[in-house]
Amino acid sequence: MNFFQRAIRYLTRKPTKSILLMITFFVIGNLVILGMGVSQASDNAKILTRKKMRAIVSYEVDYNSYWNYVYSISDKDEMEAASRNSPKIPMDQVLVLKKDERVKALNYLLNNTFYSMGFENVPVGNEDMSSSDSSNQPYNAAGNSTRANIMGYGNAFPELIELTEGTMTIKDGRFYSQDDIDQNRRVCVISEELAEQNALKPGDSLTMSTFSPDEKKTYIDAGISEDDVNLELEIIGIYNTKENVDPNSPDFKWMSPYESPKNRIYMPLSTLQEFVGTMTEYTVKVHPDWYRDTDVETVKTSRISPSRAVYLLDDPLNVDAFVEDHKSSTGDYLVLNANNETFKKMARPLDTMSFFANIVVWIVVVNAVVIISLVTALTLKTREYEIGVMLSIGVSKQMVVVQLFLELMLIAILGFALASVSGSLAAGQVGEMVLDFQTTSEAQYGSSEEGSYFSSSDYFTQVTQDEMLSEYHVSVSPMLIGEIFLLGTGVVLIATLIPSLMIMRLNPKQILLS
Amino acid sequence: MSAILKLENICYGYTDGSFKREILKSLSYEFQAGTFYTILGPSGSGKTTLLSIMAGLDKQESGKIYFEGEDIDKMGLYRYRRNKIGVVFQSYNLITYLTGLENTLLSMTETDNKLPANRKEVAYALLNMVGIANTKADRLVTRLSGGEQQRIAIARAIACNVDLIFADEPTGNLDTATEQEIIRLFQMLSERYGKTIIAVTHSNEVSKLSDHRVLLKNGVLNDL
Repeated sequence: MNFFQRAIRYLTRKPTKSILLMITFFVIGNLVILGMGVSQASDNAKILTRKKMRAIVSYEVDYNSYWNYVYSISDKDEMEAASRNSPKIPMDQVLVLKKDERVKALNYLLNNTFYSMGFENVPVGNEDMSSSDSSNQPYNAAGNSTRANIMGYGNAFPELIELTEGTMTIKDGRFYSQDDIDQNRRVCVISEELAEQNALKPGDSLTMSTFSPDEKKTYIDAGISEDDVNLELEIIGIYNTKENVDPNSPDFKWMSPYESPKNRIYMPLSTLQEFVGTMTEYTVKVHPDWYRDTDVETVKTSRISPSRAVYLLDDPLNVDAFVEDHKSSTGDYLVLNANNETFKKMARPLDTMSFFANIVVWIVVVNAVVIISLVTALTLKTREYEIGVMLSIGVSKQMVVVQLFLELMLIAILGFALASVSGSLAAGQVGEMVLDFQTTSEAQYGSSEEGSYFSSSDYFTQVTQDEMLSEYHVSVSPMLIGEIFLLGTGVVLIATLIPSLMIMRLNPKQILLS
Repeated sequence: MSAILKLENICYGYTDGSFKREILKSLSYEFQAGTFYTILGPSGSGKTTLLSIMAGLDKQESGKIYFEGEDIDKMGLYRYRRNKIGVVFQSYNLITYLTGLENTLLSMTETDNKLPANRKEVAYALLNMVGIANTKADRLVTRLSGGEQQRIAIARAIACNVDLIFADEPTGNLDTATEQEIIRLFQMLSERYGKTIIAVTHSNEVSKLSDHRVLLKNGVLNDL
């Protein structure tokens, strides 16, 4: 007749007490499962949504705070100088972040529009819609484009995000190497559509200019040779991209050819910087009146500095930690943007629900401890005699406590087991109801907050609140059941503590011989 | 015969405000093995207090108690209660949610003494010996009469194979006929199995049937 057998006998032969206690645990279990289930479902929905989003962090200028700073300057000249000298993304810090093991790829890109010379851009598909002026021909007699039709991209590293993610693949030839970047080589990679359109292949060359044919005349007239304003690049690779223009986009009608992913030409950042820098110097030389109050270097620096560095991380769930780890070292008016504001805004109904669910759990747990402690302490008063008997035959006080704990634990297991069935059903129902109410309230009283004026989000996955909420499913997982049983064990342990102190003070002589 | 229990200068008292009342005054006595003792004494003389001290349920203020020559304080009172003695109370003190058999098995489980492997059969046999049939042994003790419960209490006391049994007014709640049966049971245990019985009683009838009568008066024990 060991303590386990005694505990079983007590529970089975005092059915009323056992059932009442089990009902108490059952009710507590239901409330805890409800709270934890709802809270966990909210967290899961957020995690699943996060996983759907690209693991992108953009190191960029915080224009909101920068312009706040500029407008706070009282001296007009100082204000103007500050406004012309916006913060730049420092290369040394870009490299520090690149060394983080969570970084898979990095786009430290500069882009610039070009006019094609002797080759045609890939048609966007809107040419019939936008060419209202038939006199405005896209190419002149020499076959040079009369409008900016190519976007030149220069990346500082060969590990382009699009290549790493697979949205872009090299079909023929190769992508430029670190050596090409270091040596400022005039090489480029073009889309297969552009190559087909113009019968180009690796080893061929193409020529572009940052000036239109008309503008170019002004520069030649100012003594600059035509070769100097043209950029000739050797094609070293042909890429295929999964990106396409969206014909359903409201801007499709007005879209310029250079906005099409097919008309992107990738070259080393150093090559693009060198060329754009030289062109800027020519512009300042030819149009000094445009830059009367600014020195050449300032203009040049602002033209050749990438506006941001975009990092692709190994896991979307690492984004927050990455930002947290590096946010203190970004520099003045620079931020690590993980598109969190939008995400947090979308997750607000889930957060609110999770917050209240957690409060419910804690209230229930505290109450459970109090109620079970009281019930046990009161029951103990009626069991003093039995405890005295056990002490008199040599059962140690510790074993009496163990028996008491075991009785509660067995009842708790039974109560929680039943609750895990009913609780999961209740949690699903209540969770959906609260979520509906919450989203309705948000929509009705909605937030007037607007997104950041200067936010740039083309790299971020755009997820809607409906998509996030569609991930909200309350289910009682084995993990959750484990957590509940762990919590239950904690409650029983604490609830046994006070009665145990009472047992430790018991004197068998006083109980049995008084 | 050798002394199974030796009391040496036992003192015990309690304080009531500024008044200190001494119950046991340097009490010394030796109980011999295999003897049925009854301790008599007027009400308030400290009989129950003495029994609780000897049974390791309470602690004396000073003095020593030796069980077969070993100091029970050094042995540890839990170990002493578990392995060396059995106690029978006036109000039986059985665990109400257990059957007679389970109450008997309880002390067999707790003891460190070597017991036969077939404990259940042994427990039934002990219960049969004290006059409890198997059918009654399997009933919850609350469904048995006072006499039957006291028999089970005696079976429980001897179940862990101890030689010394204390009894506190063991027949106090029983009718005369049952009282006689219980006393005969103690006699049998003492005579046939060599158990030492130390029973506290206020009944002269009971004490007359014991081997040895001892009077507790003025805090000391004297043979009658």
